[in-house]
Amino acid sequence: MTPPFNRILVANRGEIALRIIRAAHELGMQAVAVYSDADATAAHVRAADAAVRLGPAAPAESYLRIDAVVAAALESRAEAIHPGYGFLSERAAFARAVGDAGLIFVGPPAAAIAALGDKLAARRAAHAAGVPHVPGTLEPAPIDRPDQLEAVLAAAEAVGFPLLVKAAAGGGGRGMRRVVAADELPAALIAGSREAAAAFGDGSVYLEREIMPARHIEVQLLGDATGQVIALGERDCSTQRRHQKLIEEAPAPGLTETERRRLHAMAVRLGSAAGLQNAATAEFLYDRDGNFWFLEVNTRLQVEHTVTELVAGLDIVAEQFHLAAGAPLSPRAIAAADRAARPMSHAIELRISAEDPARVFAPTPGRITRWVMPAGPGVRIDTAVEAGDRIPPEYDPLICKLVVHAADRTAALARLRRALDETEIGGIQTTLPFHRAMLAEPGFLDATGLSTSWVDAHWDGQASRARAVRVASLAAGLAELPEAAVDEPARIASAPLPGGLRRAAEPATRDGGVPAWRTAGRALATDRWPG
Amino acid sequence: MIAGPTRDASVPEMPDGPIDPRAVRVAVAAPSRLEGDPAITVSPAPDPATRLPQDGDAGPDLPLVDGVATPVILERFGEVRARLVVSPAVGSTGPAVRTNLQLGPVRIHPAHGTRLREVVVEGWRINVEVEFERRAVLRERARRGAGTASRGGPVEVRAIIPGRVVAVSVTAGDSVEAGQQVLVVEAMKMQNELRAPREGSVERVGVAVGDTIDVGDLLVVIH
Repeated sequence: MTPPFNRILVANRGEIALRIIRAAHELGMQAVAVYSDADATAAHVRAADAAVRLGPAAPAESYLRIDAVVAAALESRAEAIHPGYGFLSERAAFARAVGDAGLIFVGPPAAAIAALGDKLAARRAAHAAGVPHVPGTLEPAPIDRPDQLEAVLAAAEAVGFPLLVKAAAGGGGRGMRRVVAADELPAALIAGSREAAAAFGDGSVYLEREIMPARHIEVQLLGDATGQVIALGERDCSTQRRHQKLIEEAPAPGLTETERRRLHAMAVRLGSAAGLQNAATAEFLYDRDGNFWFLEVNTRLQVEHTVTELVAGLDIVAEQFHLAAGAPLSPRAIAAADRAARPMSHAIELRISAEDPARVFAPTPGRITRWVMPAGPGVRIDTAVEAGDRIPPEYDPLICKLVVHAADRTAALARLRRALDETEIGGIQTTLPFHRAMLAEPGFLDATGLSTSWVDAHWDGQASRARAVRVASLAAGLAELPEAAVDEPARIASAPLPGGLRRAAEPATRDGGVPAWRTAGRALATDRWPG
Repeated sequence: MIAGPTRDASVPEMPDGPIDPRAVRVAVAAPSRLEGDPAITVSPAPDPATRLPQDGDAGPDLPLVDGVATPVILERFGEVRARLVVSPAVGSTGPAVRTNLQLGPVRIHPAHGTRLREVVVEGWRINVEVEFERRAVLRERARRGAGTASRGGPVEVRAIIPGRVVAVSVTAGDSVEAGQQVLVVEAMKMQNELRAPREGSVERVGVAVGDTIDVGDLLVVIH
């Protein structure tokens, strides 16, 4: 197949830049990386065929500089720019600047980004397309008009309490305020608007009903230049903390085929109405009564696109490049969409981040000293780091996506458990203990406890850590004892001899026997080696 | 979990009897430490020759954790990987609990002279600080005594552990502050700082770098 482009530029860093470069190389294209001073030797720079420096580490001086990224593409004679996620990926101004420079933006058209990036505009589009949206207002609250206060309060009563004040330009929970009673509303509107103005340069806020408990279920969409839009399937991303996703899976557990068809159809209707092309995701809340409520559209590749790829049997980034080059939706993608309501396998992604789950997920930048990743059937690792790398404090704390694929959810959970047992990260605290704990959580295992509020309400990192402190203290103490209580066979297991294991003489005890507790640990240690 | 008393690292007990010179204290090191993290004391099984008759009940060679004989062993798989195996207590049944872990390299604490090491258990990264129990108790006493020690007669600093003198920081006639380092003694891979118990002037230094010392040797006299 002819490569969609000869050379593309990846306007991102970290695992997603590497993932896009991999797709480019597999399609026979050259890839140009961009980097900040913090990333001069990073994996995406090493993997690319050429790399262009953007500026200092601060995102505003490097990865967020539209002029520098476009100049890098022109200078390196790239034909298209893939923005990845985050950074400039949802800036309509960037998509426009790329087009104005005679280059191709790998993503939806600038007009669609602008229309759907504004949450109020997206809600109006959903309303017009007959897609149920989370109940609330469709116009910005007139916060600078004291005479309108009565009208705002009436609207709030109609929405119902508790409700959320949300920023039209929002994302990541910024500009958001929870309001439980009418008398709190004026202050929440002003505070939310101020925060939104500071974060996004747009202080527009609106009211939305708080739907809780709810699951976060989103639909992966692809669209081509002919106006055809398809749904590749849905993902459940309910396990979140402060609107940051921690675990994602496809398909969403427990949905009936009818529910899936209804959900996918709503997402396609919305995408078609908004003139969507390339790839995007429509997010919904799913309440306990089985209703889907449209939340927002992300007009870019998602972090969690991997789980859909595995279940749909499709490389979404490769599809993006073909679509950007003007190709119609591929037969492979259309076939995947036809199967989407009856998924035949299950995939789960864990976002392993440099965050401390015992300290309210505070970031833990630093140097990774040990890095052992799982392998074996059905395991996919998307990462750009290795032992010795420093996780810079300037960027997203995501360091690795551990994704498993199996025949069904039960098998996928078992595969995840064994993959986590194989994973070793040292030097920085990560979210690994949280993920291990979730795989023992009954409500997660049977999917009945899936809820966007679960982590904030139930996660107790310190209890999980207390056991580790006990084990670590015992191990360190025993390792340091002048007469260490170290088992002999284990020492040999670390250096197996040719021809199998030769056991050392058992240390004799006073009565000549070996106590059972002492040998109890040997079975596993010696089973690993033949002989 | 293993039964056995634990206590807060910040409030060490002052044992009445003699401390096993081989006993080590393990605490979670700052800044990894969280409020309530316990410190534990681990020592090898008592020497059978000196064991009291009642100790025999616990088993032939169980290490002591906070003074309690505990059926726990550490299996090592090379430098980094290890597995802690906790067997059911003597007289009870049930499976042994095996926990895989990774031991980081040992670093010496620049200020305390203790041994620091990262231990990763099921994804939790725990930085622990290990030192001999006797030294930990003395360090605690010195910290408590600092500022309250009054001037009196000459004070003799004697060796509390056997080892080799690797540094002598003062000479006769020097004036010292309470808590100031006077000697460094290396014993069982650990560098142990000896500090002045109170302020004064150094009357005599009884040892030199390279000397081997034994418990009770007179090291420094402060006047």
